[in-house]
Amino acid sequence: MTCLDRRAFVRQSLQGALAASAFGTLPVLDLLALPARAASAPVAVAVRKGGDIAQLVADTLGALGGMGRFVRRGETVVVKPNIGWDRTPEQAANTDPLVVRAVVEHCLEAGARSVQVFDRSANDARRCYVNSGIEAAVNGLKSERVRVEHMDRRAYRDIAIEKGEELTTWPFYLPAIEADRFINLPIAKHHGLSTLTLGLKNIMGVIGGNRGVLHRRLPESLADINTVVHSDLTLIDAVRILVANGPQGGRLEDVRQTDTLIASADIVAADAEACALFGHKPTDIEMITEAARRGLGTLDPARIERV
Amino acid sequence: MHLRHLRIAVQLACLGAFLLLFLLTEYRGEDVLAYPVSLLFRIDPLAALADALAPGAFGWALLWPALLLVLLTLVLGRFFCGWVCPLGTTLDGLGRMLGRGTMAAVPSWRRIKYYLLLFLFVAGLFGLQLIGLFDPLAIFLRTLTLSLYPAWNLVTNQVFEWLYHRQVPVLSPLADAVYPFFDSYLLAFHPPAFTLAVFTLLVFFAILALERIERRFWCKNLCPLGALLGLCARHALLRRDPDSPCADCSACLRECRGGAATNGGHRGGECLMCMDCEGFCPQGRVRWRFGNLRAGQGVDLSRRGVLSSLAAGVVLAPVAAGTPAVWQRHSYLLRPPGAVAEEEFQARCIRCGECMKVCIGGALHPALLDAGPLGLWTPVLVPRIGYCEFNCTLCGQVCPTGAIRRLSLAEKHKTVIGIAYFDQNRCIPFARGEECLVCEEHCPTGEKAIVFDVRAVRVGDEERLIKLPRVVRNRCIGCGICETRCPVAGVSPVRVTNEGESRRPQDPWA
Repeated sequence: MTCLDRRAFVRQSLQGALAASAFGTLPVLDLLALPARAASAPVAVAVRKGGDIAQLVADTLGALGGMGRFVRRGETVVVKPNIGWDRTPEQAANTDPLVVRAVVEHCLEAGARSVQVFDRSANDARRCYVNSGIEAAVNGLKSERVRVEHMDRRAYRDIAIEKGEELTTWPFYLPAIEADRFINLPIAKHHGLSTLTLGLKNIMGVIGGNRGVLHRRLPESLADINTVVHSDLTLIDAVRILVANGPQGGRLEDVRQTDTLIASADIVAADAEACALFGHKPTDIEMITEAARRGLGTLDPARIERV
Repeated sequence: MHLRHLRIAVQLACLGAFLLLFLLTEYRGEDVLAYPVSLLFRIDPLAALADALAPGAFGWALLWPALLLVLLTLVLGRFFCGWVCPLGTTLDGLGRMLGRGTMAAVPSWRRIKYYLLLFLFVAGLFGLQLIGLFDPLAIFLRTLTLSLYPAWNLVTNQVFEWLYHRQVPVLSPLADAVYPFFDSYLLAFHPPAFTLAVFTLLVFFAILALERIERRFWCKNLCPLGALLGLCARHALLRRDPDSPCADCSACLRECRGGAATNGGHRGGECLMCMDCEGFCPQGRVRWRFGNLRAGQGVDLSRRGVLSSLAAGVVLAPVAAGTPAVWQRHSYLLRPPGAVAEEEFQARCIRCGECMKVCIGGALHPALLDAGPLGLWTPVLVPRIGYCEFNCTLCGQVCPTGAIRRLSLAEKHKTVIGIAYFDQNRCIPFARGEECLVCEEHCPTGEKAIVFDVRAVRVGDEERLIKLPRVVRNRCIGCGICETRCPVAGVSPVRVTNEGESRRPQDPWA
């Protein structure tokens, strides 16, 4: 081994430090958060009831002007249901498979180039995909443009959260960020900590990392990650809702059949509307008020237009 | 074609089949495994011996193939060692690469395996089962499960990930194209990691390294399964002709890898049935044919050796049994759901690692000393690393000896592995007055076993209303997901102890 002289040592140390700091900045993508929309435009919220799910989805989307308003020909679409738990559709812990299937169908009819369906499950993902019925329902469409896929462990990337108040950076799932359209498809249900889980909370399924630490300041953290993942459409499945022992459920006694769908391009307005199903006021639910405060959507009754 | 080539082809086919079964030891969308993935142990006479010596009835339904193997050995000799055993095949294959030793090993060393078998048998008879530590099939599968497969997953995933993020021309598109195949068939769904990975590999390396002394050193001198099959093979009908070396040549004495050819005749119990002698006999005289029952050569054990092995077993078993019960000093010793009572469990478990391979929550890990000094490699559930999936019954489906009973889903939901408790000094809502409840969210029982009380907590000068978690005793089954998912770094503030576990019938809760 050759001996280093002092100059060489200093020079190499500096070069190394420079290279390391340059390298350290590389994996952090800096996405600009979505631009705020005009504060005065009215926000449409559609609420429909019905027993036939395919018809119900068609009616609800139709009230907002059809899927063509959200998905344009040739676009890539992510449909993000809740597939979080190893439960059957009757137990109402995951989005209803027929709702997922119908929404995907509408995306295809609107001319989507590809539709990806995925979620970062809490239980073993394979079990959740199978027992939720979602994998089979979507694969039943037999379209080459649709893929129900498990999260690709390679595809998480640290992203700087420009407008973050609680979080400055967090790993996000790239396919969810990079798709042209993101359709948020939560199920409405009870949650021990946040009272309810709806659209805003459903976005936790496209982030990596130790999600549990977000619980310490859940409303703030949810608002932060929702500034990065913009939902073009939020359609809340309330065909069956879980009123206790959520978000995982497991008891049929806790399930109520409500045959309802709620949809809006405004995630806060959609979440707020769903609160009524549980007898809550949206202003009592901190994650919703926090998201509204941060400009992710509106709670202002004057601006919300029921369609 | 020489018989040797046929033998090598069969060896490779068997190794391939076992590797395939190994890869199939995984949840693939069906609650019940479609393949008999633990077949390797169901044909294992040592597993059957352990089962027979354990308290409780013999598991005929699981282990009848092992008896079939014994019957075949009575007819065909130790063909298992030469043609089927995956450890033997590995030693044959890697020994060539490692460089085989030609040291003249001491001939009497081959007696060790009989002494070892005798010792294991007697210890088993007196209630101490150590067969699993020395079973070659368990050693093979354990090494694969705990060491090699995790390493394979780690390295392969890193390569794919690197190429995915760097987008190297040519290579990256190629990698992305083959990734789905690797992901679906060759890589685990959850990258596995086990606590005894390095130690297990070292044991395997040691056995491999013995090849430097002598070809098939392990099989010839140490393997208790070889000894057991050897005892059955002494009078095998398929025999080598000529029985003794010819007067003009001593090639077989030199070349025989099993040390079966001796001046006193061909020792059926030592012959690995590799059938190489048919090929290397310069005169082409060796033939293999079925003959009449002949008197086998005795196993020339020394009286002192036999008595020592007997004594070792007789003494060690009660000494081991005389240590205090494990759960009296180790609250965190959790066993898989369906595990039989601890004493019977240790006597039945052959430490094969099938349950650890199949566990989809990554919860089962090999014990080092946690289960007592002789519970090495038995499965323990480590909830900080992984949890027991509520609707999964796979470990009971793959256990070849009934150490883990096969449970129906309804039984599984009621089987208590342990109970969780909160360390209020570290649990976030108690200790810091901040919200958390990740444990409550994940608790899988229909009516949650973790509930919360809203209480006013003083944090500095202000009073906050905080949701404080609490365990409901008779709902908790000890699945451990609360401990796995607890976001606090290090040791979890919510921990599962084995108190109240179902398999301990004397417990007042059960």
